Amino acid sequence: MPFNISIDNVLSILKYNPNDPLIFSTSLFLILFTLFLLVYNLMGKNRSAKIFLLIFFSLYFYYKAAGFYFIILVVSAIANFLFGKWIAITENFTKKRLVLILALFVNLGLLGYFKYTNFIIQIINGIGTAQLDPLTIFLPIGISFYTFKSLNYVFDVYFDTLKPTRSLRDFCLFVFFFPNILAGPIDRASEFLPQIDQEPFLSKEDLGKALFLIIAGLLKKVVIADYISINFVDRIFDYPLRYTGVENLLAIYGYALQIYCDFSGYSDMAIGIALLLGFRLMDNFNSPFKATSIADFWRRWHISLSSWLRDYLFKPIQLSLRNLRLFANIIAVVVTFFICGLWHGAGWNFILWGAIHGFMMGFALLIAKPKTKLYNMLGISNTKFLKFFQVIITFHLVAVSFLVFRAPNLQTVSEIFSQIFGFFHKEVFIQFVERLPIIFVLIVLGYIFHFLPVKIEHRVQKMLSDMPLVGKAVLLALAIWLAVQFKSADIQPFIYFQF
Amino acid sequence: MISVELKKVILKELNLDDFDMTDETIAPQVPGWDSLNHVNIILAVEHHFKVKFKSYEVLRLKNVGDLQKLVDSKLGK
Repeated sequence: MPFNISIDNVLSILKYNPNDPLIFSTSLFLILFTLFLLVYNLMGKNRSAKIFLLIFFSLYFYYKAAGFYFIILVVSAIANFLFGKWIAITENFTKKRLVLILALFVNLGLLGYFKYTNFIIQIINGIGTAQLDPLTIFLPIGISFYTFKSLNYVFDVYFDTLKPTRSLRDFCLFVFFFPNILAGPIDRASEFLPQIDQEPFLSKEDLGKALFLIIAGLLKKVVIADYISINFVDRIFDYPLRYTGVENLLAIYGYALQIYCDFSGYSDMAIGIALLLGFRLMDNFNSPFKATSIADFWRRWHISLSSWLRDYLFKPIQLSLRNLRLFANIIAVVVTFFICGLWHGAGWNFILWGAIHGFMMGFALLIAKPKTKLYNMLGISNTKFLKFFQVIITFHLVAVSFLVFRAPNLQTVSEIFSQIFGFFHKEVFIQFVERLPIIFVLIVLGYIFHFLPVKIEHRVQKMLSDMPLVGKAVLLALAIWLAVQFKSADIQPFIYFQF
Repeated sequence: MISVELKKVILKELNLDDFDMTDETIAPQVPGWDSLNHVNIILAVEHHFKVKFKSYEVLRLKNVGDLQKLVDSKLGK
């Protein structure tokens, strides 16, 4: 972590720079956040001042990453605040629905314009003879996250399960809140808004949990994800044909761990930082590779997005088609995951990735009954034996699907498989371990930690909670020191930032 | 209060012998009542009570008590 900040260039460092967002693992964030936290706590019981400071800091945080596109964020927040009000005061149900449609049109229109216009132009150029020039469109960072965050508020007000907030200030804090604005968790308004007026109370356990999440998140992101990405996974995936099947296979395992550590590490830090400010955000990951099926995986992976899609997309489709019974579920799941893929980015790889997950879950639904019968017949239902194989199979399906997500094209995917199945060379494994011991140890340790029972995590959290303040500070300093050792000169952006 | 009749329909659909349900019980607390099975339970309730719900009415249900209220309102209770 270079601390080469001199008085002269402080201003230029603090200015908007699209290549240098204020991500949590940078030294600049550490400095600014420490100062912010100090002032925030100095304000004591003056709740209103604290909220305004938080809004101001959040807007700055966003400006640093998106420049003057932060105006879109502000406009989007004000518009959704007004849509909420409008829906709530509209008595007539048909009119209420029209306002919802208008809100969806505005939100998805903005998201669509910034994110998908050039992709659509590319498709049109591919189909017809006319050649349209791509437009110069800047993608405001985090727009997919904050659009979905605002929309859950609009939906809940529409369903009348949430009373609209009267305070524009509170709603802005919900939308702008810096810990989760760039990459989630896509928190629920119904959970966040009531916390604003509560007196924040940070218990000993909360502090221990926050510290645990920040340390774990930092190590996951910097020590595991960044390190194995730069030094191993990227090299293999750039030129799979230069490496043997052993290396390609290890790269698949490495990438699954990398994307998990990158994204969940960011979420952990976001949740931990929010907790330090007195806000509880929703959980986003629950040991996803322990899943026993693809459906189970989605209950554990990016939970804030998958539960959003379940509540506001899957369920409406499923219920409106309910007379088709099983096929209502199958159609709803396939459509939902097609959209899920598209949400991740304007590219065929993301759409294909979503479609693969939709197809796998649709197929699982179709064979669910005969499968249960077969398991019962074999007497293996609910056994550890079955669970073991379910976890292994689910993990490999997920890891291969991530390959589609990551690879620039299907050619690369096929090259990776041709190396694994036609040029394996198992003897290279020993050389790999000898030459890249750190990479190998990180991958193995990463998976071991992932598969440890949750109660161990709770025990560590409790230990941290019971530690004196000095001990906590030393541990945090140690984690930062370790991160610095592993950090390469250039900071790798989080995989999920482009969404 | 959730009626014995509604409880019976739900338990039958989920193949459960018994499960203690109150107005505040939410779907994930009941074994087997996941987002996929939800559609079967709603259909079973509609079928049993010979009522028809709008999707909107079902989507806004928060707990079993809400479902009971919805059934009652359809039956004119």
